[in-house]
Amino acid sequence: MTECPECAASVENSDKVLGEVFPCRDCGTELEVAATEPFSVQPAPREAEDWGE
Amino acid sequence: MKVAVVGASGYTGGELLRILLGHPEVEVTQATSDAMAGKPVSRAHPNLRKATSLVFSPRSALRPADATMLATPHGGSLPLVPGLLEVGGIVVDLSADYRLKDPALYREYYRFDHPNPELLAESVLGLPELHREKIRTARLIAVPGCIATAATLAIHPLAKSGTIDPKRVVVDAKSGSSASGQDPGRAGSHAERSGVMRAYAPTGHRHTAEIEQETGTHVALSCHAVEAVRGVLTTVHAFSARPVDEKELWRTYRAAYGNEPFVRLVHEADGIHREPEPKILAGTNYCDLGFAVDPHAERIVALAAIDNLGKGAAGNAVQCLNVRAGFPETAGLGFLGLHPV
Repeated sequence: MTECPECAASVENSDKVLGEVFPCRDCGTELEVAATEPFSVQPAPREAEDWGE
Repeated sequence: MKVAVVGASGYTGGELLRILLGHPEVEVTQATSDAMAGKPVSRAHPNLRKATSLVFSPRSALRPADATMLATPHGGSLPLVPGLLEVGGIVVDLSADYRLKDPALYREYYRFDHPNPELLAESVLGLPELHREKIRTARLIAVPGCIATAATLAIHPLAKSGTIDPKRVVVDAKSGSSASGQDPGRAGSHAERSGVMRAYAPTGHRHTAEIEQETGTHVALSCHAVEAVRGVLTTVHAFSARPVDEKELWRTYRAAYGNEPFVRLVHEADGIHREPEPKILAGTNYCDLGFAVDPHAERIVALAAIDNLGKGAAGNAVQCLNVRAGFPETAGLGFLGLHPV
């Protein structure tokens, strides 16, 4: 168990593998498994968007 | 439970009937309307064709029920409530007549002296997220206004947690045309309303008093009419004396509403619906809440979207009735909205 670095929601390991990308259930941030032991996640790299242009 | 709806030919009354006719625990026994007495309910609310054979009765023919829901214009509930309470049964009032605790505010905001100030002390504001326990035993439930509902739900957690300066809260509200009722006068005609982006109350809106009462903040409220039939979006601008990050806001709102059935936190990293938007809430009882931190202006932005006739009136009223009657809180309120719409 760890928390989302963006919104602090609980994130469960549930057999995720290193490098796996999945969305946070609360804020939708794409998270990437950075380590499995201990379990940690980081925001996955993503392309910038042109919102507001 | 036998329920009567007073003032049932208006938009809020129609929304009450729509929800109550599908409620598993409710039988609608009467729908009153002096203007449409003797006419079928579907004459005013065509969406209810084949859903009911009810005919509008005059208010003078109102019979006692387990619960009476008042969808009356402001001022219309004032003389009705004492008599209904005397007969017994639950009264759920959707007008503004019993929302404010301080009688002097009725003089300031509504230009009349309240005739029953003792009932203001007894009435419970119908916002389950703030007053659920009091609603469970209330005789008189006063459902808050639509803009007040949205703004209060956005501000309350920030104020209660001490995150924001309570003396400096700005609320910018946009609302659809149904918020002004069936008889909005010339301002509601198609020629005036189509394409509208009008500041109809830059200052002095009546809901200011409700928001301040419920949040303990000093509110600067500006209200705008926009091109929509249903929907309210309030954008709250608040300020903190210390640095606040979004993770803290997530924690604050999660602590306040994590277990609430009709409040959803919406602040998503991706997609086209990242923040609350009233359009997808039409017909639902949801309040979608979003937020963001603006480090440049040292500002916290909180957004709340509702359907003014749903969580802003009839849906919330039925949620209160469910709480009061001991029904499942979501009974009759399961509609998830439409998308696209």
